[in-house]
Amino acid sequence: MKIDNTKAQMRKGILEYCILGILDSSDAYASDIIDQLKEAKLIVVEGTLYPLLTRLKNAGLLEYRWEESSSGPPRKYYSLSDSGRAFQKELKMTWEELQSAVTILTTRPNQS
Amino acid sequence: MNKTININLAGIIFHLDEGAYESFKDYLNQVKNALESQEGGAEIIADIEARIAELFSMRMQEFKREAITMEDVNFIQATLGAPQDFEDDSDEAPHTSAGMPAGKKRLFRNTDESIIGGVASGIAAYFGTDVVWIRIIFLVLLFFTGIGFITYLILWMAIPEAKTTAQKLQMRGEPVNLSNIERSVKEELDGVKERFGRFREENQGTGQSIRRTVNRALNFIINILEWLFRLVFKFFGLLFILFGLVIGFTLFIALFGVIASTWNFGGIDFVSIDGNILGLNAAEAVLGSGIELTLMRIGTLLTLLFPILGLTTLLAKAFKRPLANGRLVNIVGGTSFFIGLSLLLYAGGNVLSSFKVSTTEMRTVELQGNTFDLRAELLEESDGFLFEIDDDNLRIENVKLDIKKSFDPSASLAMKHRARGSSNSDARKRAMQFEYPFEQVGPVISLSEYFTVPEEALYRGQELEVTLYLPIGSEVYLDPSVENLLYGIENAHNMWDGEMIGHTWKMERRGLVCMDCEEIDYFESEAVEEQIEALELEIKKLKEN
Repeated sequence: MKIDNTKAQMRKGILEYCILGILDSSDAYASDIIDQLKEAKLIVVEGTLYPLLTRLKNAGLLEYRWEESSSGPPRKYYSLSDSGRAFQKELKMTWEELQSAVTILTTRPNQS
Repeated sequence: MNKTININLAGIIFHLDEGAYESFKDYLNQVKNALESQEGGAEIIADIEARIAELFSMRMQEFKREAITMEDVNFIQATLGAPQDFEDDSDEAPHTSAGMPAGKKRLFRNTDESIIGGVASGIAAYFGTDVVWIRIIFLVLLFFTGIGFITYLILWMAIPEAKTTAQKLQMRGEPVNLSNIERSVKEELDGVKERFGRFREENQGTGQSIRRTVNRALNFIINILEWLFRLVFKFFGLLFILFGLVIGFTLFIALFGVIASTWNFGGIDFVSIDGNILGLNAAEAVLGSGIELTLMRIGTLLTLLFPILGLTTLLAKAFKRPLANGRLVNIVGGTSFFIGLSLLLYAGGNVLSSFKVSTTEMRTVELQGNTFDLRAELLEESDGFLFEIDDDNLRIENVKLDIKKSFDPSASLAMKHRARGSSNSDARKRAMQFEYPFEQVGPVISLSEYFTVPEEALYRGQELEVTLYLPIGSEVYLDPSVENLLYGIENAHNMWDGEMIGHTWKMERRGLVCMDCEEIDYFESEAVEEQIEALELEIKKLKEN
């Protein structure tokens, strides 16, 4: 079992939640999302994000609008839809439960 | 100096160095292949292209450059990631792109190895067989039933061409993943490189400019010749198809004719004239009602089963709804085709062999008087068909009337009946069986337009030659009703059969002479003129000598 693989799997699992979290605070354009995710070291290359954004949008969780850009083609600004917001809330709860559960599990003193 | 190529990305024009362009194109194609079959793939590709356009613009502004170089392309690849990073492989995303299981094949036309449309090589790739077999099957079908041609056309239209590398891989049933695509593209590229390399070697080997020029010229000519040959081959291919179309279509129709003629579907007379089921009659007249008819019936049905089944499965596959047990269907169809074909050949051979020997039977009847009025009003032909069954008899409408000079003092009517059979005695027996009613009332001789043989005699090429022998000095009037019977009657005026109708003719030493034709002068004067001309020519020649 490769450690890199496992790391990637862990990151991938929370990627959707992170994207929804970024968009919860403010609308963003794909590049902004990418920059934040890159900074957090959650993704390495941009290519990963585009299919994900489209899938979330097609699932009705995201909405987008076009905005002119001074450099380059018009940009897609993404925002959370109502169902996206509800989805994000539920994920947030799950994440918090998970987090505490994982913490408890991994920091529990060994008792044999 | 670098050549640049212009591209349009998300509505913005970029100038790319040639090398950068090739590399970028490869990259983008790989990304497209990875995304193509994902849900919303087109949209994702558009998003990515827009992003690349933005990154390119940013870099151009940043570095104050106009053209995009290899460096920029490398930057794009590093930023966006390798093509496989684009695959969204989270569990709920339904995607098939990279995960097409091995062996899951799709039917494509293989235009890389095509003679016409790549249908045969596509099918060969699908079934994993050698394309030669598929081509042979097509040709056999083409020549024996014509279904080959129709099938080919339908398949040509229905099966998509394998254009992208992914499709080419699917055609062979290899899993569509990036390494396979890369390998396949590389193979293609290597082929091109090899050819290019050879070309270069030939051209740079000597270093002498004259030889190079000659080489180049030779190469040019060879290329042109190659191109011409290819054109000619394609042309012949097309010609071949056209021939096949004509032959095949005729045979196809003929096969349906056999079906129509050997089967009487629940008494529905779908090919009938005057209440006679023509086809059925014809088949029974030739085949009888015994074993051959049964064999032909079963044979035609079995033979047709294969193309119909085959077409069904292929169409089902073409529309991506493969039949549950298409293989079984094909095996059943193929077996029935060969059994049917052998039945047809056996029965056909049997029937053909009964046409082997031909004999004739002659009957002569003396006629009274020396002036005749020839009519054909006794039994009149109902339609233009050669033979049909009428009650227990087989009517054969194949009577030929001739008029000849007789050296006997009295006129006579000779009937020569010809028939075929499997052996001499068989043919003779058949030749003796015929009824041809005629009667003489005063000068009026009434003939019939057809003769009959017993139904069991079957149609074996029977024909009746009726000859009226006239002594010199006797006369005959040809009533318009005999028009159908006249067959190449010689006369002194070289008139056609049709023109002889309605006139009275007298038998003279030089043949039949028309007694009441108005245009006779024309015919005679022309002949005389010709003779005079010939004589003048001869005189001229003699004088010159």
